[in-house]
Amino acid sequence: MISLQVPALLTYRDVAMRVVSASCKIFAQNLKSTDPQKFQEEIVSAAGEAFNNTVLHAYRGRVDGRVTIEVEPKADLLEIRIIDNGTSFDLSAVPTPELDDLPESGMGLFIIRSFMDDVAYRSGPPNVLYLRKCL
Amino acid sequence: MKSSILREAEQLTLKVEGELDALSAPILRPVIDEIVGEQPKLVVCDLSALRMVDSSGVGAIVSLYKRLRTAGGNFRLEGLSGQPLAIFKVLKLDRVFQIG
Repeated sequence: MISLQVPALLTYRDVAMRVVSASCKIFAQNLKSTDPQKFQEEIVSAAGEAFNNTVLHAYRGRVDGRVTIEVEPKADLLEIRIIDNGTSFDLSAVPTPELDDLPESGMGLFIIRSFMDDVAYRSGPPNVLYLRKCL
Repeated sequence: MKSSILREAEQLTLKVEGELDALSAPILRPVIDEIVGEQPKLVVCDLSALRMVDSSGVGAIVSLYKRLRTAGGNFRLEGLSGQPLAIFKVLKLDRVFQIG
């Protein structure tokens, strides 16, 4: 497993996603059925949206929060865990955006679900968002 | 993120380079306000040097498009590739902007 903890600030998103990206290269070296670059880009895109959501929603109004990102291969999938001690939420209650209406916000979770094979959430503390993608 | 504007006759080209995300999208908003204020007949958004976009960045581009259309202007996206193209496609914006 690869683990990184950073302050819950958008300025740390880049370093967090560099770790996720490099982790993909290590753990997904022998991808059989998909394009490695596409695999990596989709995971980084999804993890980036999850990081944003943690900073902007779980720690709304706070500058003292911390986010832990863990990347771990498990059997035939790669699992990314986004862990925080902020405000939890109900994953099932987040509405699906009406794409035909050209929304300007609220698309983060839709992107995550589109690029990952499984998304789950456990309220804490700590709260854990699980992003899983088949290798 | 870096943005630049090129004005030619009745066309205005907005070039956005680098990464357009939750951190940099707010920086683009006043640029968008300036463009919309000029009421151009056509805005071309050149994203050929855009390496990464997230949902906040897409929101900024969509905002520009909607405000221009409301003001009677036209909008065209050019140069999308890589990760930004994948994001626009998953959000079904490739049909709206006729890209990819």
